[in-house]
Amino acid sequence: MGFWQTTKRTLFRWKLIPPHRWRRPAIVLVAAIVGLGIYVLKLSNAASYLSDDPQACVNCHLMTPQYITWTHSSHREVAHCNDCHVPHDNVFNKYFFKAKDGLYHASIFTLRKEPEVIRALAPSQAVIQSNCIRCHQDQVTDARMTATIANHQEMRTDRTCWECHRDVPHGKIKSLSSVGYQIEPIKEYAPKDLEVIPAWLKSSMQKQNNQHESND
Amino acid sequence: MKNWILFLITAVVVFLLAMLAYSIMDRKNEAKYAYQPKVEIGNIEPRDSIWGLNYPRQYQSYMKTKDTSFHSMYNTSGHVAVLEEDPELVILWAGYAFSKEYNQPKGHAHAVEDIRQILRTGGPMEPGEGPMPSTCWTCKSPDVPRLMKEIGVTEFYSKKWSDLGAEVINPIGCADCHNPETMNLTITRPALVEAFEAMGKDINAASHQQMRSLVCAQCHVEYYFDKNAPDKKGAQYLTFPWKDGMDVESVESYYDKLDFADWVHPISKTRMLKAQHPDYELFSLGVHAKRGVSCADCHMPYKTEGGQKFTDHHIGSPLSNVENSCFVCHREKKEDLITDVYDRQRTIKKGSQKLMQLIAKAHIEAGKAWELGATEEQMAPIQEGIRHAQWRWDYAVASHGAAFHAPLPTSSIVTSGTSIIEESRLQLARLLADLGHNKPVEMPDFNDTEALQAYIGMDMEKERADKAQFLEEVVPKWLEEGKKREAGYSIEMISNE
Repeated sequence: MGFWQTTKRTLFRWKLIPPHRWRRPAIVLVAAIVGLGIYVLKLSNAASYLSDDPQACVNCHLMTPQYITWTHSSHREVAHCNDCHVPHDNVFNKYFFKAKDGLYHASIFTLRKEPEVIRALAPSQAVIQSNCIRCHQDQVTDARMTATIANHQEMRTDRTCWECHRDVPHGKIKSLSSVGYQIEPIKEYAPKDLEVIPAWLKSSMQKQNNQHESND
Repeated sequence: MKNWILFLITAVVVFLLAMLAYSIMDRKNEAKYAYQPKVEIGNIEPRDSIWGLNYPRQYQSYMKTKDTSFHSMYNTSGHVAVLEEDPELVILWAGYAFSKEYNQPKGHAHAVEDIRQILRTGGPMEPGEGPMPSTCWTCKSPDVPRLMKEIGVTEFYSKKWSDLGAEVINPIGCADCHNPETMNLTITRPALVEAFEAMGKDINAASHQQMRSLVCAQCHVEYYFDKNAPDKKGAQYLTFPWKDGMDVESVESYYDKLDFADWVHPISKTRMLKAQHPDYELFSLGVHAKRGVSCADCHMPYKTEGGQKFTDHHIGSPLSNVENSCFVCHREKKEDLITDVYDRQRTIKKGSQKLMQLIAKAHIEAGKAWELGATEEQMAPIQEGIRHAQWRWDYAVASHGAAFHAPLPTSSIVTSGTSIIEESRLQLARLLADLGHNKPVEMPDFNDTEALQAYIGMDMEKERADKAQFLEEVVPKWLEEGKKREAGYSIEMISNE
């Protein structure tokens, strides 16, 4: 109860409570904002953006080319979108960067200003590069040389990896029109109860087994 | 005034929020049309061309399996009659349909057309006639799972090959390996699921990488038709003999325990086994399987077209596509890689050819022994040797890729077969000497297929005439009936972009 009292006091002190004559329309409008806000959150599947699920990144069909090229790459088995595209130094930085990038994406998409070919911007590039190093540290640097050569680490990691590895992992061409039909989910994201035996075969085998048992 | 401004600002915020909500709905609707398939693929759609509307690249590369222009040193994709190349085979398979005609493998797209044309299936003029059971269709078409679903699995195995001619008209295709809703790999042939159960394994536990081999293992395996399956009277039930293990000895003892024989050899009177392409079993023993490579990795490597990466469905010899298959792991000269493959094949073929000739001789020597009045008791150990030796030879050569897939196990199979048959011929020589025939047995001319077919008493003229009449009179009727049935299928279009 004390909390509610202090809140009310603060609201009045800063003149945030409308005068009596205005209360009704204000309440209606603010409720509309809250209601619409909740509806927009639901509609845009906002909660999914807190997860690491690549499916969240294809909530907008704009990212389909990136998604498909990744599902056809060797990184599919070991790295999700967030493994490369958001920082992993600490959790606050991770979500701050994710929110910043996500809101930028959402704004551009809403304004229909998306380019035909999406390219990573400088901050994003820095994040991707650091993530390449995060996993492939042992491939690019040599522990023995790090100990003996002063700038070995920098020498080996300051060039962007994709200067040479141009196809990793999305391929060279990834414009919006470079994708055909896409309804090929990969196993990880298939429904949990998906079986490799089709339903008709399963039920027919079940029937045979039952027959078998009743004859034994 | 201030309040009015506040009120207006709030109203504008609500308006903008509503616009945002609408925009999200709008873009969501867009997604329903962007990157979406054109047709709804029904339950079991046997026609590849319908799948092809949704997956043009996969479909068009799959259609390239019609192309028979690539020739490797062994087992080309063209039409090569193996009985002409190795006439001894006629003796090995005397009394069995394989002595009529046997050709080198072609592409999947030829499956249905080839099974109609091969002399082995005869010339049935009416449904219910002919030498072959309906089970022979099992690996030829996506019409098979459709039929199994419609009439039941056991019923499918209980007919004659000629009964289903009008039903099975599409060659091996999409629905054999893909779930139409998710495009995930799926197993549509009961025999593989049952074989896994028999081994006490759950096929649903297979990883995606294993599935990339298991869909092939639905057909590229050794099998037999079980005529005595419990509760399946009258069916020739397709079964994989894996219960005690997948290797050549385990399967051999499995058959021995069952006292199973595919046929009885007319010359040596041996109860014979016919091995059929144990590709998956032998591949599993090789170094590539050990390193976790799947069939699809080499036979269906990724391909890029118009900036899109997809799995190349032009299934065939990886040697026609070394750059995409071998180069992924092996950075050698193309010529060197091909030479490595040929070396293995050549070496093993040398051994298996020799073994084949020895087995042919053994059959004829055994025939001579019968002629001179040998008893069944005297012949039993010799016959067992012939049975086992030919089983091993067949196991090694019928698995077309074995010499490359698993050169060591394959050559050891050939070696064991050779030692078994030599032992049998030694016993035969002693037996013949006891029967008063102490000199080499006279052999027919092993270089003339026609002469050998006459020697084992086959009327090839009649076989060919029957087949020609069947192809001319029956097959067009089958096709007409099948096309009429398919014209009745409805097609659900999703979008008409």
